[in-house]
Amino acid sequence: MSEEQTMLAEMADGLFGELASAPDDAGAWQKLEEVGLADLLVAEDAGGFGGGWDDARVVFRLAGYHGLAEPLVEAALARHIGSRHEYKGYGALAGGAAGTLEEDSFTGDLHSISGPEGASYAVTPYEGGTLIIDLAAADISKGTAISGETRGSARVEGARALQTGDDVLALAAFARAAQIAGALDAALSRSVEYVNERKQFGRPLAKFQAVQQNLATFACEAAAANCAAIGAAQALDRGNASFEIAAAKLRANMAAGTGASIAHQVHGAIGFTEEYPLHKLTRRLWTWRSEMGGDAHWSQLLGARVLARGADNFWPDMTALTD
Amino acid sequence: MQTFLAQPIPWPDTAAELRQQVRALVADHFAALGEDADPAMRANSWSHADPEFSRKLGAANLIGMIWPKEYGGHERSPLERYVVLEELLALGAPVGAHWIADRQTAGMLLKYGTEEARQRWIPGMARGEIYSCIGLSEPGAGSDLASVRTTARPKGDGWVIDGQKVWTTGAQFADVMIALVRSEEGSERNAGLSQFVIPMDTPGVTVKPIIDLYGRHDFNEVFFDNVELPASALAGTRGDGWKQATAELSLERSGPERYLSSTALLLETIRKVGPDADAGVQRLVGQLAAEMWTLRQMSATVATRLAQGDDPSLESTMVKDLGNSFEQAMPGLIQAALEIDPAGGDPLARVLGYLLQVSPSFSLRGGTREILKGIIARGLGLR
Repeated sequence: MSEEQTMLAEMADGLFGELASAPDDAGAWQKLEEVGLADLLVAEDAGGFGGGWDDARVVFRLAGYHGLAEPLVEAALARHIGSRHEYKGYGALAGGAAGTLEEDSFTGDLHSISGPEGASYAVTPYEGGTLIIDLAAADISKGTAISGETRGSARVEGARALQTGDDVLALAAFARAAQIAGALDAALSRSVEYVNERKQFGRPLAKFQAVQQNLATFACEAAAANCAAIGAAQALDRGNASFEIAAAKLRANMAAGTGASIAHQVHGAIGFTEEYPLHKLTRRLWTWRSEMGGDAHWSQLLGARVLARGADNFWPDMTALTD
Repeated sequence: MQTFLAQPIPWPDTAAELRQQVRALVADHFAALGEDADPAMRANSWSHADPEFSRKLGAANLIGMIWPKEYGGHERSPLERYVVLEELLALGAPVGAHWIADRQTAGMLLKYGTEEARQRWIPGMARGEIYSCIGLSEPGAGSDLASVRTTARPKGDGWVIDGQKVWTTGAQFADVMIALVRSEEGSERNAGLSQFVIPMDTPGVTVKPIIDLYGRHDFNEVFFDNVELPASALAGTRGDGWKQATAELSLERSGPERYLSSTALLLETIRKVGPDADAGVQRLVGQLAAEMWTLRQMSATVATRLAQGDDPSLESTMVKDLGNSFEQAMPGLIQAALEIDPAGGDPLARVLGYLLQVSPSFSLRGGTREILKGIIARGLGLR
């Protein structure tokens, strides 16, 4: 990590940890705004932090690690795209939109909207591309995801809309992969602590080989998700990252499923309670696995791409990603 | 908690050029074999010995890439070597003859060997002409390596070795063995062990083949009956053998051979099913590609850390466990997804048949899955 990135990580780690320990802090969003994290991916000449994608990975991973309740990741991505198309103020991220686009006007439905209060626009995947849709006149109904986090849906009629050349689905999938990587590390850490303390049959659970082997498997999955996220971040910083993001989100999804299962298994019944905070991580893992492309979406996309290129191009294509 | 220190990988500028060199060499090799080439032998290719191919690689300066020039090496960077290794394995080149010499024996001799031993063995290893094997397991010492009972007794200025090694890969063509033996009489467990450099043509060394379930002769029993060696056969510090051997093991855990052994099967699958495969097969291919890409990222990250002089032993163990699980699971996943005739002679059926039979060894060789997971658990702070 560069010195600048280390400072960014320390700042985010401290602040997210503080916010996680005070879940009812009404000023939480304000604190995130004050340090400029929502402008992380806004260019410096547009008044932002000018961070790269690996900086984003570090911050998004820590948001996942601490189970950050505020929609910082979504706001940062929305602003990254919005700021480059003259949109001001808060933006939200949507999981997708279905409807019709006529010139600069969209009529239809948006789902899985997540963003700060008062977001004036939503950035959404739409037919393989990206739309920015005005939310001023939208009637947003609030729902909740598996994680308990708010996800809105909205019907808009003739809302102003702009089609951009971004691939917001890929960028958001990358963000979810980084969040999954962080949440897995946190759930692993909590699991290790728990089995070292909890005693049965007169000794800590950590002494049992079956428990050890499960946690070793978990650690490998967490490592895979983290390496996948950094690989995708580096590819984004280099340019085209379509293969890497698809692979990273898919690999992180797989790790999320395995990791959440093992975390609960080693925690026994206590991990299943509302009181014990493991679910703040695992319910998010289950949510993020599906959001921005589930396993089927990304594996089919990757598989079709690999098969279209054929066996003889497989390895040369793989190495060309890094050479 | 962050158990795996992920970091950027500085792929060398020379990577593309090195790959072209390896690809041309491997293409020539298979073109010369023509129809005689068994497609199954492109899988798990670091188990397949072909001295002629090893000599060609040596002549192309692609063995001993990181060794000093004074011993016939080429003083290239560790990541340049990594690029060459992953190319050779992904293409299914038969690198088994020189693999162990290139991966660990010469490095061990450079660190612990006498000057005489270095001069005697390393230049020939770099030419792809001298091969080595590793004497670790014994009938009573498999995963429990500290139960080694083969002995080295001091006699005059030298040593006498007695005992037996087993599962010794490549002993039938190796010129030299690095053996872990008990040099201190009455010592127990991992104390009192030392590493010895044993020329395989020394009187009293006998090699007997062990044929595997596929019918191949990869590993052997090696017997030592009153084998007399000079004092210079001791490598490193007397009694430090355990520390030296386990440090060597942790270096060999994370290479590309730990996840690429089934690559030939993925390639034959892609060739067979084509672009119009059903959605289930497309998704499986996508999943395998994503896992392979991630493992490459992980393996090369550890290579980067090693090149920096770090000791990423936990990370390297994780790469081996995850990589072995991946390359071992692939044959079963592909068998489940496609209808294949087990008596079929097409390349896909042959590669699959071979890998179904040999892939159980992937999570045994170089440390079993259970041992690796125990090491990872200890690294996590359990126990």
